[in-house]
Amino acid sequence: MSTILQLTDATIKFGGLTAVNKVSFNLQKGDLFGLIGPNGAGKTTCFNLITGVYKPTSGSIVFNGKEISGTPSNKIASLGICRTFQNIRLFPALSVLENVVVGAYLRHKTGLGSALAYLPSAIAETEALRAEAFALLQVVDLDDVAHVRSADLPYGKQRRLEIARAMATQPSLLLLDEPAAGMNPQEKDDLARVVRRIRDEFEKTVLLIEHDMRFVMGLCERIVVLDHGEEIAQGPPEAIRSNPKVIEAYLGEAV
Amino acid sequence: MFYLKRFGWVILAILLCVGFESVVTSGKNFDYVYRMCVLAGLYVTLAVSLNLINGITGQFSIGHAAFYQVGAYITGFFAATGYKGFASNSLVQQLSHIGVNATWTVQGLWLVMMVLAGAAGAAVAGFVVGLPSLRLKGDYLAIVTLGFGEIIRIVCQNQPALGGAYGMKIEPRINSMWFVWLLAILCIAVCRNLLKTAHGLPFLAVREDEVASSAMGVDVTKVKVTAFVIGAAFAGAAGALLGHFEGFVSPPMFKMEVSFMVLTMVVLGGTGSITGSTVGALLLFGIPEWLRQIEDSHHNPILVSAGSVLGFAIMLVAAVAYVRHLIHHFHGEKKAKTQRIVGTFAAALVAQFFLGMLLNLVPALRDKSWPYADLRWAIFAVTLIVLMLLRPQGMFAHHEFSVARFFKRPKEAAA
Amino acid sequence: MGSALTLLAGLDPAGLPQQLVNGVLLGGIYALLALGYTMVYGVLRLINFAHGEVFMLGAYTSLFVSWALGFSPEAMKSGSHQSNPMNLVIMILVSMTVCALVGVVIELFAYRPMRGSSRIASLITAIGVSLLLQYGGQLFLPTSPPPSISDKVNPYSGSWEIPLKSADASLVAALAKARTEAKESQAEIDRQHINRFDTNLPPAQAALITTVETSERQVHDLEAKINNSSVKINLRYGQLIMLGSTIVLMLLLRHLVLKTPIGRAMRAVSHDFDSASLMGVNVNQIVTLTFMIGSALAGAGAMMYATLGDSPALNTFYGSLPGVKAFVAAVLGGIGNIPGAVLGGLLMGVAENLVVWAGYSQYKDAVAFVILIAVLLLKPGGIMGSSKVEKV
Ligand SMILES: Nc1ncnc2c1ncn2[C@@H]1O[C@H](COP(=O)(O)OP(=O)(O)OP(=O)(O)O)[C@@H](O)[C@H]1O
Ligand SMILES: [Mg+2]
Repeated sequence: MSTILQLTDATIKFGGLTAVNKVSFNLQKGDLFGLIGPNGAGKTTCFNLITGVYKPTSGSIVFNGKEISGTPSNKIASLGICRTFQNIRLFPALSVLENVVVGAYLRHKTGLGSALAYLPSAIAETEALRAEAFALLQVVDLDDVAHVRSADLPYGKQRRLEIARAMATQPSLLLLDEPAAGMNPQEKDDLARVVRRIRDEFEKTVLLIEHDMRFVMGLCERIVVLDHGEEIAQGPPEAIRSNPKVIEAYLGEAV
Repeated sequence: MFYLKRFGWVILAILLCVGFESVVTSGKNFDYVYRMCVLAGLYVTLAVSLNLINGITGQFSIGHAAFYQVGAYITGFFAATGYKGFASNSLVQQLSHIGVNATWTVQGLWLVMMVLAGAAGAAVAGFVVGLPSLRLKGDYLAIVTLGFGEIIRIVCQNQPALGGAYGMKIEPRINSMWFVWLLAILCIAVCRNLLKTAHGLPFLAVREDEVASSAMGVDVTKVKVTAFVIGAAFAGAAGALLGHFEGFVSPPMFKMEVSFMVLTMVVLGGTGSITGSTVGALLLFGIPEWLRQIEDSHHNPILVSAGSVLGFAIMLVAAVAYVRHLIHHFHGEKKAKTQRIVGTFAAALVAQFFLGMLLNLVPALRDKSWPYADLRWAIFAVTLIVLMLLRPQGMFAHHEFSVARFFKRPKEAAA
Repeated sequence: MGSALTLLAGLDPAGLPQQLVNGVLLGGIYALLALGYTMVYGVLRLINFAHGEVFMLGAYTSLFVSWALGFSPEAMKSGSHQSNPMNLVIMILVSMTVCALVGVVIELFAYRPMRGSSRIASLITAIGVSLLLQYGGQLFLPTSPPPSISDKVNPYSGSWEIPLKSADASLVAALAKARTEAKESQAEIDRQHINRFDTNLPPAQAALITTVETSERQVHDLEAKINNSSVKINLRYGQLIMLGSTIVLMLLLRHLVLKTPIGRAMRAVSHDFDSASLMGVNVNQIVTLTFMIGSALAGAGAMMYATLGDSPALNTFYGSLPGVKAFVAAVLGGIGNIPGAVLGGLLMGVAENLVVWAGYSQYKDAVAFVILIAVLLLKPGGIMGSSKVEKV
């Protein structure tokens, strides 16, 4: 197996707050990797560093052997990393299907000119991309609402749509930020199946943030734990479960 | 086969435009109507092109008149320096034997060149104005686009080579109504094509959420600048046609108010809707012009007394307040709601008539009166406010007119 | 480089201080107006396009009050008119009150119903209100000929001269000498009863006249030279009052915003509208108050500008240019930021006068935007505003 993503001492400060402090971990190709920690631990900020939303204050992030820290978001997407958002950021006025087609932006082959002139090539491409998007919707089981405005979807479906949209960019690394938040147990089980299928069938590497321990422990093969921006543990679920530092971090939060 | 079909559509569009022009020119004293039709066509182009920037891509630009001006001034400059040379050019002379008549062909060729030049110049301006949109958002961007517009206007105003404050004459004057409408149709077609293909989605996505777009790989910078460039190019092309139609250009033709007017057309129609922009342009251009026309059978302007105006204003405020109440708090059937709204306005219309008569009993209110023409901008403003109060999403919201919708069963459409 | 030097050489350094002072005075008016924009933007995130029209109505109100106080054009034709300071006080108070009312009415009828709608829809409504006041105002307000507030309203018509650099002593001495010479020769001419315009004078007398003329010319030249070599600022008393009142108003506002419960509520609403309302702040009341204060400041500015400043004559578009510039000033300073608005206003006023001073007065309306674009590109949040990083 080869390393796909490597964080080394990644750090970012917002004014006086060090949101992520010297975090290092490696992802191997085909991993199903969990990122957990109490609220405000810096998990989402890690995603933001990896996807170029913020530039790290120091440290390095290497993707497929290439340093990517400070690269603009869209470039990073074109390298093959795509994500979902914790506070759902769909394109509300667009239909479910259209949301997914946006994800195919990087695969446009025809130029803008042919679209403006409505040439057969652009029409055909549009048809192809829509068909592809529809297939992805089937994966996340949203094909029946393909033409609904995405803003009108219930919460759980919006989360799944986020995943389908990210899949449309055909990433090699998929980052999911709390994909199960707000779902009931049944939906969570379905989601776990989908995520596993994405890894196995579509051969993606998956890094996911989740608060639901049962979900993470059942799904992920390796887990890294953050607390107050710092990495406090790393390892397989069983080791994490019994790690005193982790228990303290979570209990400390509960008190 | 495809190209044959496309060619057919183009011919049809041209025939439509030429047909429209000949219908207009067949009337008696058509000068005024002709002029209005030309200006309306130009406004449609302006509104639809601004809609691309503002409504579709969501970049808050309120200086569209600047691009219009760039197009017009480029034409003015070339017409002053190059038209004579162009007309006497031997190649052009030879070509001129092809068309219906020589002047027609020469002027037509020239006009096409000027439209392209105006579009190119304005596209460059659009590129320059689009660049700040990379760093600025919302209101900040708005004020910068407004600023660019003003700077361009004031600079032109102080360039003796561009005629200074008086502007410059553009020879020859060309009556180009069908061409104006062809441009409008082209502009509409281009925007519609964009939205019909996958290429249009990134534009909408940038409007909806820049961070998410960029995470999906959309080159937000490129999309925004492209929208500015295309939108500006159409405005520039319209400017070129305006210049040759009016026979002169001057800085006041491109005041801030023109930009506001175009912006208003877009919002009133429903931001993002091409149909909306078109209808908005026709309506907002038409209302003031129509009000200017109101006169009795002896061609004297009809006067409105202050009492009537006051009565109308009072009833309007009351009706709008009540209709807003209905819109937000009436939970009955949709049909009943519509009936009530229409009923309210009808009642208010009748009531304002009597209230006006009553108020006119007061001598001070009876004796002060104005022709409709003087009231037109005030009425325009009131229309704007009322429409926004009652339907802030614009007339068409984000919908498009489509023939298919007409044939849909009501049930289906509701589903 | 060469062209820059010739450009500088063409400037008149002696005029600079005066222009700077004028700039600050004008900037004070812009600042008052900018405060209104910035406060409203702070609480509602709305560009109140009608604010310039409130300014216009303030100027008209002052005009009507001045007429009522006996300074109408008809009254001015007959007899002498003595004004007293009370007139100015009445004018500014009435203007502020009327504007505050207008502001509140506009908010209530046009902006409040739009609160849930999109920003752009509110903006269009604001443009609508602005147009309505401009064109509707034309129906009721006197516009042709454009009226002006009489100078006579201001009881302090003198001015205060501040010498910054006195003239060369040698020049002053030379002037004194030339003056005595001229006076002596003139006295001689008077004594001999010579007619200066007689063409057939005997040579001695003609020489005398030549002497007089030469020394008179010398006096004239020297006076001009002294004028140029000395640097002074000329402040009309009216302008001083304007400056003083502007400062007082700003201090009052500062006190209100920073030291009172109302001010705290205002800041809370401006920081986070929804949270403030959840925390029990009566946001409607605060918004009304914001419009009231902002509009009253515009009213004060309008009265002072129209009565004491170098104002053009009134028409219903009187407020649109100052309005746009003040808005630019607010954005420049960082919109939503109160000290920023003052700073932006002053910068704008000074920049405008500097451009006039440099001999490019035709570009004075463009400079506002040039500065704005330059500043925003460097610092997208304005000078004192913070450009927040969006939390993702
Ligand atoms: N743009 C920003 N500016 C300032 N502070 C920020 C910014 N983004 C994140 N933070 C801060 O960084 C810390 C970590 O936030 P982050 O969103 O990464 O937490 P998280 O682990 O995802 O928590 P949760 O489980 O609640 O989602 C928080 O204290 C947050 O307030
Ligand atoms: Mg998070």
